[in-house]
Amino acid sequence: MEDKLDGILQSYKTKISSSLSFNELDEIFLSLFGKNGELTIIPKEFSSLSVEEKKVVGPLFNQIKQDLEKAINDKRQEIREEEYKKLDQETIDFNTQVEFKKRKGQLHPLTEFENEITRIFGELGFQRFDAPLIDTDYNNFEVLNIPEDHPARDLWDTLYIDSTKYSVPNGKLLLRTHTSNSQIHIMKNLELPIRAMNIGSVFRHENLDARHEHTFSHFELVYIDKGLSMANLQFLSEYFFKRYLGEDTEVRLRPKYYPFVEPTAGIDALCIFCKGKGCKVCGDLGWIELAGAGMIHPNVLKNGGIDPEVYTGIAWGTGLERILMVKKGINDVRLFRNGDINFLKGVGDESK
Amino acid sequence: MKVSKSWLKDLVELDGFENVERLLPMRTIGTKEVTSDFIELDMKGYNRADLLSLRGVAYEVAAITDSKVKFGEPKESEYIWVEKSLDGVKAQVQDEDLVPLYCVAKIEGLKVQASSQDWVKKLEGSGVRSVNNIADVTNLVMLEYGQPLHAFDAGKVQDESIIVRRAKKGEKITTLDGKERELLEDDILITDPKKAIGIAGVMGGKDSEVVEDTQTILLEAAIFDPKSLRKTSQRLGLTSEASKRFYHGLTKKRLLQALDAATKMYEQLGGRLTALTIKGDTEDSIRKIPLTLNKTNSLMGVSLAHNQVEGYLRKLNFSLDALDPDTTASGDSWIISPPYWRLDVEIEEDLIEEAARMYGYENIPSKELPGSPPEKIGQTLFEMIYNLKSSLVDNGFTEVQTYSFFSTKILNNMDYKKDELIKVSNPISSETEYLRNHLWPNLLEVIDKNARQGMEDIAIFEVGKVFKPKENDKSLEKYKLAAALYDNSPNPLPTFYQLLKNFLETLNITLDDNTEHQKTHFHPKRFRRLLLSGTKIGKIGEVHKRATDKFGIAKRVAILEISLEKLNL
Repeated sequence: MEDKLDGILQSYKTKISSSLSFNELDEIFLSLFGKNGELTIIPKEFSSLSVEEKKVVGPLFNQIKQDLEKAINDKRQEIREEEYKKLDQETIDFNTQVEFKKRKGQLHPLTEFENEITRIFGELGFQRFDAPLIDTDYNNFEVLNIPEDHPARDLWDTLYIDSTKYSVPNGKLLLRTHTSNSQIHIMKNLELPIRAMNIGSVFRHENLDARHEHTFSHFELVYIDKGLSMANLQFLSEYFFKRYLGEDTEVRLRPKYYPFVEPTAGIDALCIFCKGKGCKVCGDLGWIELAGAGMIHPNVLKNGGIDPEVYTGIAWGTGLERILMVKKGINDVRLFRNGDINFLKGVGDESK
Repeated sequence: MKVSKSWLKDLVELDGFENVERLLPMRTIGTKEVTSDFIELDMKGYNRADLLSLRGVAYEVAAITDSKVKFGEPKESEYIWVEKSLDGVKAQVQDEDLVPLYCVAKIEGLKVQASSQDWVKKLEGSGVRSVNNIADVTNLVMLEYGQPLHAFDAGKVQDESIIVRRAKKGEKITTLDGKERELLEDDILITDPKKAIGIAGVMGGKDSEVVEDTQTILLEAAIFDPKSLRKTSQRLGLTSEASKRFYHGLTKKRLLQALDAATKMYEQLGGRLTALTIKGDTEDSIRKIPLTLNKTNSLMGVSLAHNQVEGYLRKLNFSLDALDPDTTASGDSWIISPPYWRLDVEIEEDLIEEAARMYGYENIPSKELPGSPPEKIGQTLFEMIYNLKSSLVDNGFTEVQTYSFFSTKILNNMDYKKDELIKVSNPISSETEYLRNHLWPNLLEVIDKNARQGMEDIAIFEVGKVFKPKENDKSLEKYKLAAALYDNSPNPLPTFYQLLKNFLETLNITLDDNTEHQKTHFHPKRFRRLLLSGTKIGKIGEVHKRATDKFGIAKRVAILEISLEKLNL
């Protein structure tokens, strides 16, 4: 039996190394591993062997199987590399005029929404401000009144950067968990009064399913001036949702808790499908929570070098996917980033 | 927190639950689930430690529904241990900063039995399983008062002597769930002179568990440092009803009330309190917070009257001292003490939130923004991105957004050197372990996905951040733009270039005359660097067949990638 196996190994090794095309290799593969391939049928003969013989033949068989598989793959790669050499003969002329068909392009739904947000809040004088996606634990949490081990950290499962390479201790550099990291950058870089907004990706340590993503888009508005109130917060909420969801949209505030705003408000919109009667989309509540906001906590203003005795602030934020999913009836959050072009085009067409 | 409706009814004068169910989310906290038996409060990340006790919930419900609680605050003079001469339980606390209050009561003469139907019902309505009468007392009291308790079988505690200390390196304990847990020096341990008998606030030890023949227990009521406890429970993956309450914060008053209530329940079961030790200061700190009517109204944007604010806060059991009218201009200033169970109220803004809740957030009117918009700040980056995207869409490209990570497929197929990429130290899986330093490989992956579904013509682009594109670069992230064309042809680059020619010309981007390159991921000939006034800004070319083969993409792919930082528009 050992001789037989060795015979197969030797003869096929020769065949493999002398083959010149993928076709030949495919045939070799089939005659070894196919339904009636030599290595497929041979184990049937093992039953006649003694226990001692089996101990030798079993491992040998497995080894030969692996060797031949590898030999075929290596040869495939070799043939490919030969082909790749021929690429040197191919050329390019950038000046050739080519006929090409007219394609229909499409913005990503998140970009369309981002543009809408920029336009709507732009009407009120809010301007975009860029903030880093990799930020410090300090800017993302501590400055926002969320010290280490604060129970509220449960709200943000965080992805940390392996940061010792950048002279930062591990656990101190992270992928921002919300656009609220922009608050400190905005306060430190802009002159008062401030009307700024930040839009972009945020990250969470979250397993993927239809309702959970580790990457999604957030929007945050930072408004700091003298004498701001919750009534202005109500105004901003109405202003945005009436323009984005329709003039008949009603908006209400509810108590909520985020450590960086006080008072805190959750923002509900009257369900755009049932108009408050209760339906599947709003879970029979009549209202859907679409954003979170509040009056910027005095500690946060202080951390930004702003005197809370003189200035008050409003922070207002939301997740873009969540609102798009409600508005466009999308039931799987993963669709936004998995590159499914049919989905992206479909959502775009529908919104036109 | 699952609030049993029938239990709540024992604590508050309520006609029904319609109002409670409607008002809780509007005045207090979101509800996760409401059934005919219970209301589950959405406590995730919330700061209302008081709502982890039925008494706290009762006070809150009474305030928002304008009803009364049926219970009185227990009198300290009526605590079961008052005027009794009791022995002490041998107990020693080694680190008082980590354990500000530690109490142990010894209760003898107990008999382990099934609990009464009444108790079982209360527990079940709160989502807690009945174990036996001894354990159930600790859970019932925890649910009502918010103070976790733990009963040790006194017979299994060496010398009936307890030492609270930090764990030693390599120390181990088998917890109630039968699992052996390895401890770190930061963990707070409950021990006897020989061994660990519990992880403070997280879980008791299996060895000292109350069992069928237990007659004497050592009942522990304590406050442990929430930070230390949170670290321990998260590391061990042991979050329990008890640990949650520890790290939300406890009060000494409720602790003593709970110890008293539990001991009385054990006496009803036939037990006797025979020894008690209380270690630590039993007084809660009292907060005095100034509040003015003026600030209240200006932050809410309403005009509440003096009496309205007072009324709201009194309903919530805040005590108010009006400041001396002679020293304040209007007399509309107070010094306010929150009730001891409201640990979340610390500053004036917290008090204003209380007033706003009671007034009803939904009653706050909408007011136009005061002041005028500030001066323009630079919007060049965003306007540029907007224009680039519009222009590519006009030229027939579809925008995609992909993850900021390189998938394992990309890492393997492109043979990237991982040590040049930024690494996530706690990835969800290997798919989120390395951050992308280019955009175009993700476009290749998108093409692969869509081509597999039979799509034969794919023109896509992405604008987004890449991370640490160059080793010597200080900044960790940069904006890039990438585009790709797969048109089922053996040479898509001329078409791709024609599509982008105007786009590149508008940006003043030109092809480098030098055709030589060493890039293994690109076709040896069909590749050019892109230049902006002589400096490199990106590249355009056909992806090397070696790479497309590895993805299993049958036809050639042309890509372009440029750095946006260097563009100035």
